[in-house]
Amino acid sequence: MTSDKSALAGPKRELWFAWYVTVAFYGLYSVIFFAVARVQPPGRPWLAPDQTVDWFADRRWGLLIGFALIFVLGGFSAVAIALITYSIRRMSVSPVFAYSYLILYAVSAVPGFMFICVAMTCGAMRPERDPVVQQWLYDLGFLSFVGTMGVFLIGSLVWMMAILLDKNGVFPTWFGYLNLCNALTEVVIAPSWIFQRGVLAYNGAIGFWVNVPVFGLYTTVFIILLRNLIQRDDLGTGPLPEPPPDVWRRARPPVEAATS
Amino acid sequence: MGERIIYWTWVPLVVIWIAGFLLFPGFIPPVSPKASAAEVADFYRQDLSRVRYSMILFNWFCVALIPILMLIAERMRAMAHRTPILRYCVIGVAGAAPIAFLTSTVFWLLAAFRPDRSPDLTLLCNDLAWITFTCGVPFLVALCLFLALAIVWDDQEQPVFPRWVAAFNVGIALAIIPAAFAGLTKSGVFAWDGFLSFWVKNLAIALWIVVMAVVLRPALEHNRSESAATV
Repeated sequence: MTSDKSALAGPKRELWFAWYVTVAFYGLYSVIFFAVARVQPPGRPWLAPDQTVDWFADRRWGLLIGFALIFVLGGFSAVAIALITYSIRRMSVSPVFAYSYLILYAVSAVPGFMFICVAMTCGAMRPERDPVVQQWLYDLGFLSFVGTMGVFLIGSLVWMMAILLDKNGVFPTWFGYLNLCNALTEVVIAPSWIFQRGVLAYNGAIGFWVNVPVFGLYTTVFIILLRNLIQRDDLGTGPLPEPPPDVWRRARPPVEAATS
Repeated sequence: MGERIIYWTWVPLVVIWIAGFLLFPGFIPPVSPKASAAEVADFYRQDLSRVRYSMILFNWFCVALIPILMLIAERMRAMAHRTPILRYCVIGVAGAAPIAFLTSTVFWLLAAFRPDRSPDLTLLCNDLAWITFTCGVPFLVALCLFLALAIVWDDQEQPVFPRWVAAFNVGIALAIIPAAFAGLTKSGVFAWDGFLSFWVKNLAIALWIVVMAVVLRPALEHNRSESAATV
């Protein structure tokens, strides 16, 4: 942790800036979606038009304030994308992987999170609107958010392939396969475009209760691994230096002392 | 040569944006968020041609900002940074910022496509257009702040952009932020037709394009410093 204190003054300040913003962004994003706007866990896909009117009325100010904050801060999602793009550029693979990842995630921002912000704001700002139209906005909000699938699918596969081909040791191989798990969440969410009820619906056992924890785990893991990458990075282009001594293991007696 | 051609497109871009702005009858004065569905439907029926032509113009040319933003991103290579992270940040938001504007033109054109549609649906398209146009600023806010940080961290004797450009970008970001709250009210300075959300925000964007174009010109000639990273 001592290296982190002067992080924003040293030669790795751009990397540390990106890492701290990534942590802050995901933290804030979770708070806004779960606690302020309360759109996670998602609403019920089977609500009748009148029920969606009640749904909007129930969380009107939460939606308006929460999504206004996303309208201010949403652009900072680019920082995590930039850091991951850098991690791929730091590998021994072609830059094509890095640029593919950057473009996939950058352009997905509009359908992936702008649409839910716009739809929910439009719904909340006119509670007197025709219930059928309110239901349409409700559908647009949730389905665009959970149903913008290709980016995470192809993006995760691009990152996975880069990690598995990399010879610079930027990430451990097992994390390559964890990307596959994240990609699979986008496969099993596809039926939420078809089913309004049951495990496959977007609020269902698979659609929400398996997918969101997998995404949460994946995000937590890559945040830790990115930190590890920044600590080891020599800002060069070749293989990354070995990881620093593990702080948890170092607390125990050294292995040599224990065996001799 | 190629970069100079792209650079000078900022002049026709500004002219076309101002022309589109004056042509669209919903900007001077901006359509009120308090207008009823019937009033909004009437607006599209009365000024149909001007709505269509101005929004086709914006649909064509709002994304013309992207090549100019790429000129800025390319200049960032010459900054005394150790990594390309901030350049990737700028590229990451440079596409989405104009695409959000493009999306709002689609909703305006959709409203104008069938002016005899039910007024409730015209009102919906109008709301989607105005909220996307007004609140869709997160990428611009982030762009200004990324540039400000990149300029502050450009530690060399002859930085790519003068230092004051960093403060200018922070100022523009602050001027744009109130527009994000336009959904919260239908009247006052924060409403989508209000002083902050409409006039300050749009004039700030116009000012940003002109000032960045002016500081970009000498930067095009800037020689890459030896200390700059190569990743």
